[in-house]
Amino acid sequence: MSSYLKNVWAGFYTAVKGMMITSRHMFKKSVTIQYPDEKFDLPANARNKLVLDMSRCNACTACAIACPVNCITVEGVRVSPEDPHQEVHADGKPRKVWVTRYEMDLAKCCFCGLCQAACPSDAIKHTQDFEYSAYNKESLYFKYQILTPEQSAEKVRLLAEFKEKEAAAKAAAAEKAATEGKPVAPKKAAPKADEASEQ
Amino acid sequence: MESTNFIWDLMGKNLWSVVAVISLPLIFVLIYALVAILAELKVSAWIQERLGPMRTGPWGILQPIAEVIKLLQKEDITPTAASKILFNLAPYVIFTGAYAAFAVIPFSEAYAPANINVGLFYIFAVGSFSAIGIVMGGWASNNKYSLMGAMRSVSQVISYEIPAAVAVLAVVVLTSSMNMMEISRMQEGGFWNWYIFGGPGGWTKIFMIPFTLTLAIIYFIASLAETNRLPFDIPEGESELVAGFHTEYSGMKFAMFFFAEYANMFVVAAVVTTIFLGGWTSPFGSFLAGAGWGAFWFILKSMFVVFLQIWIRWTLPRFRVDQLMYIGWKVLLPISLVCFIAISFFSLLNLG
Amino acid sequence: MDLTTLAFFFFAALTLGFGAVVVLSRNIMHAAFSLLFTFFGVAGLYVLLHADFLAITQIMIYIGGILVLIIFGVMLTTRITGVDVKSGRTGKLQLGLTAALSVALAAVLVKIFLSTLWHIAPAADVDATAELIGNALLTKYLIAFEAASILLLVAIVGAAFIARKK
Ligand code: SF4
Ligand code: SF4
Repeated sequence: MSSYLKNVWAGFYTAVKGMMITSRHMFKKSVTIQYPDEKFDLPANARNKLVLDMSRCNACTACAIACPVNCITVEGVRVSPEDPHQEVHADGKPRKVWVTRYEMDLAKCCFCGLCQAACPSDAIKHTQDFEYSAYNKESLYFKYQILTPEQSAEKVRLLAEFKEKEAAAKAAAAEKAATEGKPVAPKKAAPKADEASEQ
Repeated sequence: MESTNFIWDLMGKNLWSVVAVISLPLIFVLIYALVAILAELKVSAWIQERLGPMRTGPWGILQPIAEVIKLLQKEDITPTAASKILFNLAPYVIFTGAYAAFAVIPFSEAYAPANINVGLFYIFAVGSFSAIGIVMGGWASNNKYSLMGAMRSVSQVISYEIPAAVAVLAVVVLTSSMNMMEISRMQEGGFWNWYIFGGPGGWTKIFMIPFTLTLAIIYFIASLAETNRLPFDIPEGESELVAGFHTEYSGMKFAMFFFAEYANMFVVAAVVTTIFLGGWTSPFGSFLAGAGWGAFWFILKSMFVVFLQIWIRWTLPRFRVDQLMYIGWKVLLPISLVCFIAISFFSLLNLG
Repeated sequence: MDLTTLAFFFFAALTLGFGAVVVLSRNIMHAAFSLLFTFFGVAGLYVLLHADFLAITQIMIYIGGILVLIIFGVMLTTRITGVDVKSGRTGKLQLGLTAALSVALAAVLVKIFLSTLWHIAPAADVDATAELIGNALLTKYLIAFEAASILLLVAIVGAAFIARKK
């Protein structure tokens, strides 16, 4: 009998106690963040949308190689020394490679951060922007350009011309050397444009 | 005896006044249900340290309207294997049961839709319509979950009707009246005259306070079970029975169940208010008393009880079926009987 | 025709109509649910007779108690997945016999109805029937009342005994 009464009392008491607890929570500040209106600060190293700084990138393709899902495509062409349009990188060094193509498919990206780590010139970076959902995948395919296609073609042509000229000069020099009987070690072939590596 | 239905007098006691008297509680139920749904959403959110709906109107106060509109737009499905007539009838039977009880609720000194002598008894009687409606819907759905939900619901309603009735009966012994208006009037003159505190009487009533208090709590618990609210919502326990007896319902018919549940909540809250919390009487004697203030106090007290129901719902988890029966038959019933006998004894001694 | 008469015909039609469904329906569940409206109609008739307590008792006991019990019984005794419960077809002979019996019974009832001198007393305007019934039950009809309660108690004890004896 007494244990029965104790049980009943315990049941009642615990219910009341539970209600007291919930009533305390009723007046606590809500933890909800009303998202589009308020946002909380992401940690500084949060990895979200990738942004490329074209003035830094030198088309070294380190990022494209590092990327595990192959979402980056880079092509570049060496700056011809005779190019009338010379540029300086953001870090003050002269530009040695024109980026003719830089495409990033953020629909594929898994935000692993490897490209950022691989980039030697801090050109590709994760930003804090995570609100870039889109209705179609095409709008997540980002194409970066500093040159118009015509300009790129022009740069390719310029470099080819320069190389031709150089080759001609070399041939001439070799001929000269041959006539002078002094062999000359062939210079290292100009690296292919998209494997350009400077620093 | 002065009139207890001012609309009846105002409109000249003809057919139109009948319509007005009938429709006023209906309008009240609709508005109240919207408020209660919002309260449910908001209180549950606050208890869980959320904000609840915030986007529909300022602080989300239009959320219930949005929900009702959403329900109205939904497809109204009748399962092919269901018993069509009964399936379509059940929501109306349930709502009738809930709404019929409003006929005797004394909202104020000047307004009870029907001031009948056996009001309390009447409320218990029409409550059985909901039970029948639930069985009807559950059986007609031709769905195991619905049927199980219906069976559970009815066994629960039947079991908990007894302690609830005993608790009410104890107050009837004290008032020697089943007229809800009369019971309210007896508790006039301040909150110490409410039956939860032993009712009106001299200092000797303090012996009765523990018993009336217990009965009030018992009635409240039993009323939770009768309205199928948590922690007694085993008829619709989501984790076991999908949605219980209204698994198959959608659209407007589901909305009827929804409204009936909230209407039922108000009915039991009104009964608690009337018999234990002084009905429409002011808690401060003659201060702020009167017909208009009466309605204010009545609705305030009832809404407080509704709030208690919501509060409990978001505090306690659901009981198991055997625990439910244990509480009903082995805890509430014996204790309410003891209190009932004690109160009858006191009232024989004229202590109250 | 005033409102009361209209209400009377409404309730009478309700009672008789659904009573017919109870008798004629082959689906036992439909029959059981039709009882709901029959009982409700009877309660309405009680209200029209100024017997408010009796009307509410009718709803409470018959709808809230007996009807629920019947439905429960039907649901528990058939397969719970509820293929429609049908009452069996009656044979020609039985049909003829019952028809004859019913007609005879109806004839007797009509005869009695016509030959009785009906006493139409003016409706006594009793306001509180509950009190009168209570007083009568505990004074004049005390023995019957107590006998009924003892009967119910015996029934409960018996039911509990049968249920326990598994
Ligand atoms: S974050 Fe990872 S997946 Fe995304 S582009 Fe960089 S390397 Fe590729
Ligand atoms: S690693 Fe950096 S510099 Fe190299 S291609 Fe990628 S973004 Fe440009």
